[in-house]
Amino acid sequence: MALFTRTKETVPCTVEVSHRFESLHAHVRFDNGAVVNPGDEVLVHGAPIMAAYGEVIVERRTATITRATALERLWTRMTGDFGFMELCEFSFSEELTA
Amino acid sequence: MKDTAHDTTHGELHSELADRFDTTAMATETTLLNPRFYTTDFDEMDKIDVTPVRKEWDALLAQMKSDPNKGHFKKTADWDHVDWEGMDPALRAEFIDFLVSSCTAEFSGCVLYKEMKRRGTNPDICELFSYMSRDEARHAGFINDALREAGVAVNLGFLTKAKKYTYFRPKFIYYATYLSEKIGYARYITIFRHLEAHPEHRFHPIFKWFKEWCNDEFSHGEAFALLMRTDPKLTQSWNNKLWIKFFLVAVYSTMWVRDHARKDFHKALGVDIDWYDQEVFRKTSTIARQVFPIEIDIDHPAWIPALRAMNAAMIDMEKGKKKGGLSGRTRHALASLRAMLAFARLYLIPVKANTPPVSVRLEPSY
Repeated sequence: MALFTRTKETVPCTVEVSHRFESLHAHVRFDNGAVVNPGDEVLVHGAPIMAAYGEVIVERRTATITRATALERLWTRMTGDFGFMELCEFSFSEELTA
Repeated sequence: MKDTAHDTTHGELHSELADRFDTTAMATETTLLNPRFYTTDFDEMDKIDVTPVRKEWDALLAQMKSDPNKGHFKKTADWDHVDWEGMDPALRAEFIDFLVSSCTAEFSGCVLYKEMKRRGTNPDICELFSYMSRDEARHAGFINDALREAGVAVNLGFLTKAKKYTYFRPKFIYYATYLSEKIGYARYITIFRHLEAHPEHRFHPIFKWFKEWCNDEFSHGEAFALLMRTDPKLTQSWNNKLWIKFFLVAVYSTMWVRDHARKDFHKALGVDIDWYDQEVFRKTSTIARQVFPIEIDIDHPAWIPALRAMNAAMIDMEKGKKKGGLSGRTRHALASLRAMLAFARLYLIPVKANTPPVSVRLEPSY
């Protein structure tokens, strides 16, 4: 992990998108066991996976993981906590005025 | 869990995907679900040892495994017809915001819990997160169906957009999700009981499902309460007590501000927002005595005035931001200062000390 330069990794992945009444979910799994760390960026290649209602799509894709630099990682670890409000549910969006 | 800006990417996505999207639903709008992605210290979570609360842990996990709500999230004859066309546009807008935000929150919870299950190696923890992820995906699917009826299609195309992973320490996840799940329970059960007494205000059938629904939220909260009990430092150390107070004030005041911006929604429910929010705080605080060593004094004479000051400041901040330019930025900066002062006022209200009971577990009782 370099201090100032970002590295990129191309990894195979499996995406699963469920757009069903019983379950609405979407997940990405890296098939080679790659691990995402704080500040890394993940991009799944290809067209958006559009599951129609009632459909579950499981597809093999390729993803690029852009590794955060050591500084970015440290920064994300130090400041990430301040975004904790994102973990809370408030029933409404943050928009206050129409 | 907080929704992320579902409006900002709306237009962008609409133009990009309008012709490819789900054509079976008569969608008049699409809303991109845009969850955030998190990492945490998975090694630390793997080291959690539930031995001190093993008996209660096993009982809770057995209950979650039995999946008491499996059959609940189905549309039955109780799901009355909704007159979306005839709904007041202001109410419709706020209610759609409620559904989209709730759906995004459930969905983000599902992504977070699933990630924790997948990255972890501790079997107790992995099992817990698999049940919670299951529940959240189910809730999200149920809300999504209500949105479809309203002509709003949810779009899951976010996976192919670049996503940056942010980071939370495990204890922040415990505090935030514990509070979030318990507040969720208190919010839903308060509305449910109110509509039981005043069914004429039930303007949508989804509220009939809130009782069993919030029992899921309740038991998720129980799991985080047990997790916090595995390490006394998490709730007893001096600096963690300050963090807990910070979380309580931040979460309560945010809820106050957001609810007060939804006048039509609460008017249609026949709910006075001041009363409702205080009632939710009261229930949440009572429940949180199971694990938190302090309790916010919501009957303190400074509490409601400071919340109102915070609300006014937040509205001015947003107005300033929308206006832009030098005057808008100045307005925003001054309002931010007022919001910080209001927050400090809330934070400085003395707390009530509490000694959590020996046994953590609670059952939903409201």
